[in-house]
Amino acid sequence: MIRVLGWLAVLGLMAGLAAGFGYAPREAVQGNVQRIMYLHVPAVLTAYLAFVLVLAGSIGYLATRRSGWDRLAAAAGEIGVLFTGLTIVSGSIWGKPTWGTWWTWDARLTSTAVLFCVYVGYLLLRSLIEDPEARARYAAVVGILGAVNIPIVHFSVKWWRALHQPSTILGPERSPIDPAIGLALFVNWVAFTLLFAYFLSRRMEIARLEEQT
Amino acid sequence: MPSNWGYVLAAYGIAAVTLLSYWRHLARRTRALATRRPAKRRAA
Repeated sequence: MIRVLGWLAVLGLMAGLAAGFGYAPREAVQGNVQRIMYLHVPAVLTAYLAFVLVLAGSIGYLATRRSGWDRLAAAAGEIGVLFTGLTIVSGSIWGKPTWGTWWTWDARLTSTAVLFCVYVGYLLLRSLIEDPEARARYAAVVGILGAVNIPIVHFSVKWWRALHQPSTILGPERSPIDPAIGLALFVNWVAFTLLFAYFLSRRMEIARLEEQT
Repeated sequence: MPSNWGYVLAAYGIAAVTLLSYWRHLARRTRALATRRPAKRRAA
């Protein structure tokens, strides 16, 4: 099953590349650099999904004390940090030719950097505590508190004056983007979600094996 | 308007290296744990 998921993710990523570089047109204002969005936007949506699963796993563990919930939270947290890192790096590379700078202390960028640091801290905490029950309990508390950052990141462009553009996909209004660009984004989002599901399954399997040894 | 392909390739290149490295890390860790388990069983 995990292997099938892996191959589906590979196929999805190939379709995503074809959609982003072959099907989607060159964006009229930004030019080719806009194609970074087919990586940047799915990466941040995957990171959101991962951190929501950390929240679900943390609540599940505190409610039931079953180690499976803790394994879910730990695996999702690690992969969430990976995808948040990709979001920040790809956004920074896009920002240089578009905004003229690699980084600015804009509300969206700063809140995303804080989100990244919170979940790096979550992983550090997990690595510092030896006792599995205490580790799961403390990590669950941080996993629940850390989730407060997710809406802050998402709504930061509405709550504060920001250089970053407002949401075009998860916004309340109908998306104004070209249908071909929207389709390329959708294909890449599906591909990243499949890749996330594959990584999550493998990481949870590792956590299960670690518990047995 | 400049083509900016260098930035696009840099972003996708970094993403590809990062994701492949993580995949290799998971594969190595799984192999290491799988080989450790039978050895532990034999020792028991």
